[in-house]
Amino acid sequence: MAGNDEVNLIESRTVVPLNTWVLISNFKLAYTLLRRPDGTINRHLAEFLDRKVTANANPVNGVFSFDVIIDRSINLLSRVYRPAYAEGPRPSVLDLEKPVDSEVVPVILFFHGGSFAHSSANSAIYDTLCRRLVGVCKCVVVSVNYRRAPEHPYPCAYDDGWIALNWVSSRTWLKSKKDSKVHIFLAGDSSGGNIAHNVALKAGEAGLINVLGNVLLNPMFGGEERTESEKRLDGKYFVTVRDRDWYWKAFLPQGEDREHPACNPFSLRGKSLRGLCFPKSLVVVAGLDLIRDWQLGYVEGLKKAGHEVKLMHLEKATVGFYLLPNNVHFHNVMDEVSAFVNAEN
Amino acid sequence: MKRDLHQFQTPDTRFPNHGTATNTSSSSKDKMMMVKEEDDGDELLAMLGYKVKSSEMAEVALKLEQLETMMGNVQEDGLLSNLATDTVHYNPSELYSWLDNMLTEFNPPPPPPEINSSFLTGTASDYDLKAIPGNAIYARSSSSSNQPCDNNNNSKRLKSCSSPDSMLTTTTTLTTATESTRSMATESTRFTESTRSMATESTRSMIIESTRLNESTRSVPTESTRSMVLVDSQENGVRLVHALMACAEAVQSNDLSLAEALVKQIGFLAVSQAGAMRKVATYFAEALARRIYRLSPPRSHVDHSLSDTLQTHFYETCPYLKFAHFTANQAILEAFEGKKRVHVIDFSMSQGLQWPALMQALALREGGPPVFRLTGIGPPAADGSDHLHEVGCKLAQLAEAIHVEFEYRGFVASSLADLDATMLELRPSETEAVAVNSVFELHKLLGRTGGVEKVLSVVKEIKPVIFTVVEQESSHNGPVFLDRFTEALHYYSTLFDSLEGVPSSQDKVMSEVYLGKQICNLVACEGADRVERHETLSQWANRFGTSGFAPAHLGSNAFKQASMLLALFNGGEGYRVEESNGCLMLGWHTRPLITTSAWKLAAAR
Repeated sequence: MAGNDEVNLIESRTVVPLNTWVLISNFKLAYTLLRRPDGTINRHLAEFLDRKVTANANPVNGVFSFDVIIDRSINLLSRVYRPAYAEGPRPSVLDLEKPVDSEVVPVILFFHGGSFAHSSANSAIYDTLCRRLVGVCKCVVVSVNYRRAPEHPYPCAYDDGWIALNWVSSRTWLKSKKDSKVHIFLAGDSSGGNIAHNVALKAGEAGLINVLGNVLLNPMFGGEERTESEKRLDGKYFVTVRDRDWYWKAFLPQGEDREHPACNPFSLRGKSLRGLCFPKSLVVVAGLDLIRDWQLGYVEGLKKAGHEVKLMHLEKATVGFYLLPNNVHFHNVMDEVSAFVNAEN
Repeated sequence: MKRDLHQFQTPDTRFPNHGTATNTSSSSKDKMMMVKEEDDGDELLAMLGYKVKSSEMAEVALKLEQLETMMGNVQEDGLLSNLATDTVHYNPSELYSWLDNMLTEFNPPPPPPEINSSFLTGTASDYDLKAIPGNAIYARSSSSSNQPCDNNNNSKRLKSCSSPDSMLTTTTTLTTATESTRSMATESTRFTESTRSMATESTRSMIIESTRLNESTRSVPTESTRSMVLVDSQENGVRLVHALMACAEAVQSNDLSLAEALVKQIGFLAVSQAGAMRKVATYFAEALARRIYRLSPPRSHVDHSLSDTLQTHFYETCPYLKFAHFTANQAILEAFEGKKRVHVIDFSMSQGLQWPALMQALALREGGPPVFRLTGIGPPAADGSDHLHEVGCKLAQLAEAIHVEFEYRGFVASSLADLDATMLELRPSETEAVAVNSVFELHKLLGRTGGVEKVLSVVKEIKPVIFTVVEQESSHNGPVFLDRFTEALHYYSTLFDSLEGVPSSQDKVMSEVYLGKQICNLVACEGADRVERHETLSQWANRFGTSGFAPAHLGSNAFKQASMLLALFNGGEGYRVEESNGCLMLGWHTRPLITTSAWKLAAAR
């Protein structure tokens, strides 16, 4: 870790509520235990420590959920979250896939974070976040349990995302009445944001599925260069450059560096996005996230390529601010996301 | 270094801890500002799976900081990896104790001088398969229960096997097949990896007892959860499910002519369905038909040899029973540490499949095996045969082979509630440590008033060092028939789905029959006949808590070994082990299906 540890810990403590500090520090501690120097992850301990919740077909706070194996060959599971139905308290199994009954219902295909290596769709932090999204946005959320690094490096997560996009797109019960199409948004935090970008790219290239928008929360991007924010914020707010490097090494193909387009979409090695079919984006950047400069660079890159992008730069937010609803950033972001996915209404 | 706590007690006052549960509809900003009572757990963290009292938040933060500083100061990654690899972690939801445990690990007491250092450097990832229960252990003796005892060369042992039993009025007491050789054979003192795999890797801070644990039991949510994993829609036979639900509803409202019509329809629909759904639907339909026509279903307690056989097939086909035995044995082994004489009372004795692995592990124990006494309690056999005795003989043979002093007694009882502690010939707890084990048995008591309470009070009289319980993780005992039916339909659909990956075989078919009998009992029976009254961990935990038991947590070592066990199974990819409140659950994908929990007597106040 760079810098004076004492100072670092006090600094991070002043910018977030105490329970947030405890939560994110706990994750940081656990993840440090799980990363091995040889690039492998202590997966058994990871699964032991991860707090998981089951799906629940009984509505809680107006949201119910159920799990679907969307691809049996790779055991790809997704968790579907829906607003509770107006009539009757509990949907039976027959009603789980009841057609959405509004003119326009946004469907958010969500990719959880975890730097490509941690968490699952049924992790409590992400189950909670997805439920909140449904509550605020009045949408359906499908959270993809994509395969993780280092056991499943690039491009597995992207492939799984692509399969999930096709699955969502072909669900008749998710089609909005207005045009008999599924109104799909891609969303994700950290590595999930990165996955959302790449799945949108592929959708644009393939041309068959229309992605209406991307929501990227603290998306995970990087590059070989050490940016100013990386140098200044290294180790100060829960994240270190060293751990970022570790995760990129675990995800990227062996021998590749961080100029690989998966890590740095606007590197010289990446292809230009100009002229490509690409959705509008809402990009949320936490000012105290050390990869802030890469995220801002991403936004600039989209703009230069002629794509619509709205930036929410939350100068005082740290990583993980959206995991607890105890700060103004959380609420501002949720409102923006809701406006973004409901723009058609 | 010391840190003033007050630094952690002044959060940014613009954003006090959010008090209420999330309901972030419309303007979510309005919901922010409620400060919680000091004593209660932080609600926001609780939603994310962490139990931290608001009053302890600052201390927890301090511990996090201390650990971080220590880890930051560590120069070699090796020390860090020890914390990850060798430390046994328990109940990560309880942040306070989890962090404390690690802080202790980081400042360990000096190791006792006689430990061979080479023993400690074995990697925990190596896993000796000898310790796995199942066929491997029974390699010597045939799995057929008709195998005569006299295939070994020591006639002295044979006599005790076949000696006549003394009969008591309500139970049959079998003579003990006592092992007379007490070989502490020096050739068995080589420390193999299997020793590590079953023995505790860290003997410190094993079972953390504190009032916190009782609270965590109470705070388990009591509203029911319906957890569903659907295979992709095209396969799940919506029409079939629709007909099943409609039929169950008709049965509940006593519209028997409608129910009858639907049962027939289900039959037709099931035939054209593929895979697990077809089988599940068929069993449920048959059970519904029995209920409609008031046919008495096959009464399983009349034919226990069939039940035992089916259970053995189920054991072979899929990992559920192996997981149950493995995790329960792990808890028992840890509780028996350092004890010279141990006694296991098994409420679920059928074929005794659980015990060879425990005996093997005890045999390989550092310092040598204890004297091992086993009391097996099982239901009467239909043909009057003394199957408990035969099981005892086989185990005695194994005990001899592995040089464990062994004593066995079998008790026949139609119901566990017939048991009294006095029958068990308990010895003083200073001389003998007792474990009580129950795998898929306790729920059967719930149909009889006072049944489970009686058994739990007997367990308390036994004063076990550990009480291991394995139960189905589902709510099949609610008061409303349709609810039970629906829960069971999802539960068994998931269970059958997990069997789909198993290649077709006699074992698999019999496993399905085994499950089918449970379905039949659950759906078609009522009153005392309905014995498959499964309840969830939270329901059992409440019951145990109010009866005077406290949780004994299963840790990351048991979790890891159970996970590795699963990897051996064909189609193992769908199985998942999950930790919840110190208990371990085995599930299919995201749906837990069985739970192993361990209990001890709550400390007297």
